[in-house]
Amino acid sequence: MKETAGEKETAGVKGVKGRRPRQRLDPLSLTGLGCLLLLVLVALGSLVHAGGDPDAIVGPRLRPPGPGWWLGTDNLGRSMLPRVMEGVGTTLLLSSAAVLVTAALSAGFGILAGYRGGYLNELIMRVVELLYSFPAIVLAILVAAVAGPGQLAAVASIVLVTIPLMTRLVRAAAVAVAERDYVTAAAISGAGLPRILGRHVLPNVAGTIAVQGTYALSVGISVEGGLSFLGFGVQPPQASLGVLIRQGGTYMMAAPWLIIGPGVVLVLAILSINVLGDGLRDRFEPRETRSLI
Amino acid sequence: MSALLEVDGLEVDYGTARALDGADLRVAAGEAVGVVGESGSGKSTLGAAIGRLLPRQAVVAAGTVRVAGEPVLDLPPAALRRLRRQRLGFVFQDPIASLDPTMKVGAQLRLVLRAHGRESPGGRDGGRGGGDVAFHLERVRLDDPRVAAAYPHQLSGGMAQRVAIALAMAASPELLVADEPTASLDSQVREEVLNVVFALARQAGTSIVWLSHDLPAVARRCDRVAVMYAGRVVESGPAADVLGDPVHPYTAALARSAPAVAVPGVRLEPVPGRPPVLTGPSPGCAFAPRCPFAEDRCATERPEPVRVGAKDVLCHRAAELEVIA
Repeated sequence: MKETAGEKETAGVKGVKGRRPRQRLDPLSLTGLGCLLLLVLVALGSLVHAGGDPDAIVGPRLRPPGPGWWLGTDNLGRSMLPRVMEGVGTTLLLSSAAVLVTAALSAGFGILAGYRGGYLNELIMRVVELLYSFPAIVLAILVAAVAGPGQLAAVASIVLVTIPLMTRLVRAAAVAVAERDYVTAAAISGAGLPRILGRHVLPNVAGTIAVQGTYALSVGISVEGGLSFLGFGVQPPQASLGVLIRQGGTYMMAAPWLIIGPGVVLVLAILSINVLGDGLRDRFEPRETRSLI
Repeated sequence: MSALLEVDGLEVDYGTARALDGADLRVAAGEAVGVVGESGSGKSTLGAAIGRLLPRQAVVAAGTVRVAGEPVLDLPPAALRRLRRQRLGFVFQDPIASLDPTMKVGAQLRLVLRAHGRESPGGRDGGRGGGDVAFHLERVRLDDPRVAAAYPHQLSGGMAQRVAIALAMAASPELLVADEPTASLDSQVREEVLNVVFALARQAGTSIVWLSHDLPAVARRCDRVAVMYAGRVVESGPAADVLGDPVHPYTAALARSAPAVAVPGVRLEPVPGRPPVLTGPSPGCAFAPRCPFAEDRCATERPEPVRVGAKDVLCHRAAELEVIA
């Protein structure tokens, strides 16, 4: 109804086309978005102990799922449900914080390298390639060794693992934008570097940053999981998905529910974010650009 | 009167390919100059060099570009920005691409106006506001207030080009470089857009360098014409003289091949052969292989500009050919 009204209104004026119909995400990506929001809700719920106190001992040790402990109990008799809820929260929080840092740094470096070119471009790209050549988990262990195990190490690792790809893609997008006539026109109108980069280049590479941001989030979740699993990330008693899987691994044969809960949630989180990322990519970059992950 | 734009012996290379091979161009204040030539003759490179907008891989091998006496190619960044802001305007071929897709038309116009401070004629109310934007859009005959609130993709090509012209002319530049501004528009819109450009330029006293394929349109609208071939200006002078009474064999061939001057029933005469791809300075006259009047020295000796009447002609046999013409 609204669409037709809009078209009628513009029909009289020659040349002004009606607003493009709003492109929506496809159902699969919407499902992914829904899943992700659900996980965020669950994480928020853990703040008010919606599933119970994650540190309270509620029953016998290593019990299979049942009334009172819907995801079973761990080796200390704590209910797994609130622990998984807290774990999701920790993992999502650390990963998102890291991705925000990555996005800010990648946007800065990538746009500068892409627009300015020359030595600056060479310098930034060589450093990025150096980082890119390390296997993710080796890099993460290196960071943990330097910074000491903990949340900071987890965040720093995720940043270092995700920054190379995003910087490269932002740079590629910025190179393309830098050659567009509107950037030239801005330069001719006397715009300085900050205005050209901030007002013209950044908004035009924002889609790339958003798409890569979602992929970086899923990489971040798996890096946090891996690092904490190895004991270099989040430290117990604080729960994260990696910590829970590590603790559950010891009793895998006797009490598989200890890793099934956090494992399923981990897979669900990564899967829903990737699906959402694909949808965003199709929306923002309708051409044949595909993620390299 | 000294020239507003002086291009002297400009040589530009893209890697091993030579785009400009000693181009000279002079534009006086308030003058409209049409630069015509085939694709690849170096028109766009010349236009870009005027604003020092050459792509990164371009190397200026020799020559100078002066705008109002200032050496554009040697200015420090701050002076270059000031020169561009105060004296230069550009309009490009693809109107949609010359507008930022993420910003509404009004916002882009405001950004340019703010950069120029309040010195623009539209700044009469002194405000930062919509009055300015509407004023500048009305100047290019875009009266619909919804244009300012539209994104570039919502505009037609002709409207977008008029917005681009409004942006370029907002600061009343002294020199407007228009690189085939109507190439992507249909013929009806083409005339309207050109009318807007030339009317605005006349009002503001802006000189125009119009790079074009369209010989008849150039002849109608420009004071002077410069014909380019293989990176050099081979003939320049008053528009009517150059196109109506060409001396250089290439200009003559070009004029004969224009569909608009054809008499129905008579075959168009294309220029025989194809334009050369230079990899370095041309040893002689670059047109010699295609020229019906070529002699031995044409292949080995670079021609220098010869004054023929009101025109400058780059041909060894200009004097003889003038008699023939």
